[in-house]
Amino acid sequence: MGNAAIRVKVLFFGRLKEIVGRGEESVDLAEGAPIEELFARYGARHPELARFRASLVASRNQEFAAWSTPLHSGDEVAFLPPVSGG
Amino acid sequence: MASPPTTDLFALVREPIDAPALVRHVRTAEDGAVVTFDGCVRNHSHGRRTLYLDYEAYESMALAKIREIGAQIHEKFSIDRVAIAHRLGRLEIGESSVFIAISSPHRPAAFDACRYAIDALKRTVPIWKKEYFADGAVWADGELPPAPADTPIAKPAS
Repeated sequence: MGNAAIRVKVLFFGRLKEIVGRGEESVDLAEGAPIEELFARYGARHPELARFRASLVASRNQEFAAWSTPLHSGDEVAFLPPVSGG
Repeated sequence: MASPPTTDLFALVREPIDAPALVRHVRTAEDGAVVTFDGCVRNHSHGRRTLYLDYEAYESMALAKIREIGAQIHEKFSIDRVAIAHRLGRLEIGESSVFIAISSPHRPAAFDACRYAIDALKRTVPIWKKEYFADGAVWADGELPPAPADTPIAKPAS
């Protein structure tokens, strides 16, 4: 059952939210698909987003995560621009 | 990661930060020092006059990361209590965007922990600042948090 469909929540913040036009979406993927694949989907739809790839970090369930991290049903993923709090 | 003591206080707020309340919160009879950091909205950025700022956060993760910083400074320094508040939304010039108060029996630990906390916050907490000028607005240049490295994936023969 390696390709069962899963649904994950995707969050966008800051300039990414402005590019995508929304802060939150649900996306269907294959079980175990890496974060990178999810980002590639958005990159194909929003070329401006793809250009930011090198200056983003990803998170899974509110922890910073490698782009190769596999996703599972119910995961919450975010693509985070450089942080500027303080 | 260990949790910080329940006597610590961590908050994201949308109203002005009550700095005196944070200082009172950390100050106990055990302490010889309270060190504070007050991050203020400055009226200029890269040579342009700033009108105001707007802060946005990944709130649940930001609060978790601030709590992690609290736990880290208890591990690293001989401190007593920690209070950290970050404000979100629109902030005017001169207002406080972040306030940190740390108490310790002896002052060096509180100084060191306070410096560590603000530096870690600026590097790792998912909060973003948009700067508004007379002629437009920009997302502030920030720092890219350290993330785990990708694990190598075996490539199929091509």
